[in-house]
Amino acid sequence: MTGVYVIGVGMTQFGKHPDKDAADLGSAAFMEAVADAGIDPRQVEAAYCGHVFQGMVTGQRILAQVGLAGLPLSNVENACSSGATAIREASLAIRAGEHDVVVAVGTEHLTTKFRGALTPDSSDPEAAVGATMPGVYAMRARRYMEEFGMTRHQLALVAVKNKRNAAANPLAHFRKEITVEDVLQSRPIADPLRLHDCSPVTDGAAAVVLVSDRVAKKLGGGRAIRLAASTLFTGTVDVEPTTMTFEPLTQRTARAAYEKAGIGPEDVDFAEVHDCFSIAEVLRVEGLGLFEQGTYPGAVERGEADIGGRLPINPSGGLLGKGHPLGGTGVAQVVELVRQLRGEAGVRQIEGAKVGLAHCRGGKAVGIEGAACTVQVLVK
Amino acid sequence: MTTAQQDTAPKSFRPVEFELADDGQGFLLGSRCSNCSAHFYPVRQACSGCLHQDLETVRFSTTATLYTFSVVRQSTPDFEVPYALGYVDLPEGVRVMTQLTGRDPEDYELGMEMELIVEPFGVDEDGNEMAGFRFRPKEDS
Repeated sequence: MTGVYVIGVGMTQFGKHPDKDAADLGSAAFMEAVADAGIDPRQVEAAYCGHVFQGMVTGQRILAQVGLAGLPLSNVENACSSGATAIREASLAIRAGEHDVVVAVGTEHLTTKFRGALTPDSSDPEAAVGATMPGVYAMRARRYMEEFGMTRHQLALVAVKNKRNAAANPLAHFRKEITVEDVLQSRPIADPLRLHDCSPVTDGAAAVVLVSDRVAKKLGGGRAIRLAASTLFTGTVDVEPTTMTFEPLTQRTARAAYEKAGIGPEDVDFAEVHDCFSIAEVLRVEGLGLFEQGTYPGAVERGEADIGGRLPINPSGGLLGKGHPLGGTGVAQVVELVRQLRGEAGVRQIEGAKVGLAHCRGGKAVGIEGAACTVQVLVK
Repeated sequence: MTTAQQDTAPKSFRPVEFELADDGQGFLLGSRCSNCSAHFYPVRQACSGCLHQDLETVRFSTTATLYTFSVVRQSTPDFEVPYALGYVDLPEGVRVMTQLTGRDPEDYELGMEMELIVEPFGVDEDGNEMAGFRFRPKEDS
């Protein structure tokens, strides 16, 4: 079976784009990725488009804008893992031998679709009693604080770190560093979480060009980065309630990725993880096995997750700082991984990085641990 | 059979998951696997433990333990904020999300014994009052 390589990446400015829609943003990212790959657009054989709230055939609207209408394309929805799922589907099409050059694009114009707290689908029994995503993560934060003694100050440091990284990322939604005091004085959203603990409502898109071994050798130009694993799982229905301070779903998805990539968590040099809320980053990195359960808040306090630290987490600024355009998020994470592994990350460059990991986890449905979880491992 | 009184009585806000008895008591509904006795909320079509498809719809206990909670201060227009939102664990081994009531937000504690009560829960499309469930600390009853 062929390997899969990323040979081109593109990403729009993340932020508010009142004058554009999801197809405009997706098209810009798509064309940038193809140009970055240095290929003729006619070499693209198929595409996958990840989005959540953008309506029917958003991907086809992108193809029409970029002059490639006619290609096989599937629109992919998996909540906040939609973009990452598009990458996985693209990689499977290549591994199956069906295509050699496939674009995965993720896009979302969220400012026109949602205000305030994101909620589960209205049909869900939990939505009916007032579930909000901040509320769910706030409940997990309270339980984690109780079980592991994490302080509110330590939790704030996650947001401070990610917004510091975002301030160094020209494409990030937020470009301003904040202090722990700023976090603790920001508007309460769902106790104990405050505004700076929550990812913003963001418009944006990202795209990657994935190719087979054969094409990577011919077209990669030495800049090809290997997609060593791309795994996806859905959460299970538990027969007994289990802890909400650890993520078996993230662990399962990561273990499958480590096995496919032939590595262990100790080999990961840096990671982009799904920090939709400050507490989410804590739960993700511990589920991924990058930090022992209960130890991440202390590690953040010691600077271990900083750029330049032992294991940088979310050097792009993460969802908290870079922004969270749902469909765009998972693809943008891989864009950051590729730029870091190529040595093109500018002031955010992690020296000597060889293995990067991206993690997404999205969606809420009653009675299951999480809707969709993805892990991508990229190797230089 | 139907009386005028019954016509005006509040109806369950989620009849598939929440049943109102004639005496006004409310019950969460779920599934019990007839093969392995695992319980699920809400009603399922197959058992996630043993994959048996012979599931019985049952009323759950109305007592529970508070696993965790938050006070939601930003929500959708359907809900007036703030409200306390929690997860409670039922004796059947299921965890259910619920609003909490009966205390100031700061006065709930993890591990508290809770009980289900029936409360007004919005109105339907025709403006009729609906009844839903919330959990309150048992010692307040």
